[in-house]
Amino acid sequence: MAAVDYTDAPKQAFWVRNRHYLLLLPGVIWMVLFLVVPLLMMVYVSFWTQTTFAISPELTTKSWVTFFSSETYFGALLRTLRIWLTVLFITLIIGYPTALFIGQFVRNKTAQTALLVACVIPFWTSFLIRVLAWRPMLGKEGAINILLQKMGLIDHPIEVLLFTELSVIIGMVQIYVVFMVGPIAFMLARIDESLIEAARDLGASAWTIFRKIIFPLSLPGVVVGAIFVSVMVLGEFATSSALSGRKVNLLGNIIVTQVGSLKWAFAAVVGVILTVAMAIVITGLLRVVNLRREL
Amino acid sequence: MHQLRSLRWILALYTALFVVFLYGPFVVMGILSFQQGPEGGPQFPIVDPSFFWYKHVLGFAPPSRVAPLPIGEALTRSLTLAFATMVVSTVLGTLTAQAFRTRFRGSGFVFYLVVLGMMVPGVLLGLGMALVATNLGIERTWWGTAFVLHVVYTYPFAFLVMLAIFNRFDKSVEEAAWALGVPPGRTFRKVTFPMIFPGVLSAMLFALTLSYDEFPRTLFTGGSEVTMPIAIYGTFAVEIHPNLFAFGVLTTLFSFSLLAVYGVLMSVSVRKARLRGSGIQEDLA
Repeated sequence: MAAVDYTDAPKQAFWVRNRHYLLLLPGVIWMVLFLVVPLLMMVYVSFWTQTTFAISPELTTKSWVTFFSSETYFGALLRTLRIWLTVLFITLIIGYPTALFIGQFVRNKTAQTALLVACVIPFWTSFLIRVLAWRPMLGKEGAINILLQKMGLIDHPIEVLLFTELSVIIGMVQIYVVFMVGPIAFMLARIDESLIEAARDLGASAWTIFRKIIFPLSLPGVVVGAIFVSVMVLGEFATSSALSGRKVNLLGNIIVTQVGSLKWAFAAVVGVILTVAMAIVITGLLRVVNLRREL
Repeated sequence: MHQLRSLRWILALYTALFVVFLYGPFVVMGILSFQQGPEGGPQFPIVDPSFFWYKHVLGFAPPSRVAPLPIGEALTRSLTLAFATMVVSTVLGTLTAQAFRTRFRGSGFVFYLVVLGMMVPGVLLGLGMALVATNLGIERTWWGTAFVLHVVYTYPFAFLVMLAIFNRFDKSVEEAAWALGVPPGRTFRKVTFPMIFPGVLSAMLFALTLSYDEFPRTLFTGGSEVTMPIAIYGTFAVEIHPNLFAFGVLTTLFSFSLLAVYGVLMSVSVRKARLRGSGIQEDLA
């Protein structure tokens, strides 16, 4: 009996010691097969040869050359980056004061949660329908124009509101600004009250307190929010196709059109460029703040 | 101090305006869903308020030039897909988070591998999966290629939620049960599961709603049988009608009832935990 226990012990210990690898296995296999393999495939296919309706695995850089030598496609890259920067900047400017109010001026935890939940409620509608609902808002006979005309602020309806780059930016800001507010408010709410009190006792002005204490401590939240917004805006195509009347083409829109006409290799090139742009943006943002240390 | 008080009011006013901005399209959608039918378009003014578009969505309206939304098939597919995604990603998320309770080599790598799933834009993942499928000769279907991508997207959320739950989890309770000779299965059912139940519920809610509304990943991998978001996306190309807004209002109501169920289950589990806690205290006294 004792002998059996003796030989069994190391065996059982091995399983107990390595049990977590067994638990990890299903998830890791799933992610490798359905996340890593498709992304690698995309990189590989971007070097394949494209014929009219098919691709063949003879390696070539032709699709890459087409992308960078075409005004339309390279222009789409620049437009995507421009819209991304604009949306990122506006979401930060618009979102920060709200986050400041929720995180610093509302001291009741329940009220804080209630305010954040109120911001999230519109998200319980289908994303696409939410985007479409901007059309009756911004159109020539839309809600905003009617309202402004009734108030006597304008004589003629503003036409640049819909089916322009502006409408795409408005739509994206409204959809993504909450992802900026959430993380910032979370970081602001964690700031130790006594820190601010100490600064006040030492005679610091409200502006100095904000500049020297509140803002630096909220930076991790800003970075997390910026990563969320960047990732989502860079991969966008629905908002631009719904609100620009297909006039504003982002990299995402090009992928969709190319896949639609079975230009797989070219779509893959655009996909790789998008991935690289995103990787640069995220590493850049992570340089600003060391997230693992701060969170 | 006086300065701060005025700042507080300014910020409060600003936040109120911000919320109005967030709700703008949402409210417009609600109002326009009562547009007169079937001639009324998706814009102001509302000629004669009616429930026409709600009847249209539910299939009770007389046939008109506006094609009905494929509620029956597409919605069933979306709900089935969301349900399957919910189950699989919650199980995977819980297993992985359970593994993370012990320190092990390569944990950083696994963490980033899983989190990558929610970071990679859907359009890229959809494209990659479509390329894999076409080249391996796999047929693209909503229950196959699209389903696995939905899990790639929602599993990281489930994982992060469960990780947060396990981080606050007092391990000694489990150890006490083992020490008292309670078998592992019973320990899990009676001790571990009730404690992580709120987390499991949140993870399920996340996965269900994300998958139900998911569409860039489904667009390239869903094949010819469309899910609800793809059906809505299809209407972008042609004219839009207020039936979409009526459908939006109905989905929102559905989401709220889901949220209500979540709230009820959550409070029941909290109350049970409290009762059990006081029961133990009484036993001790």
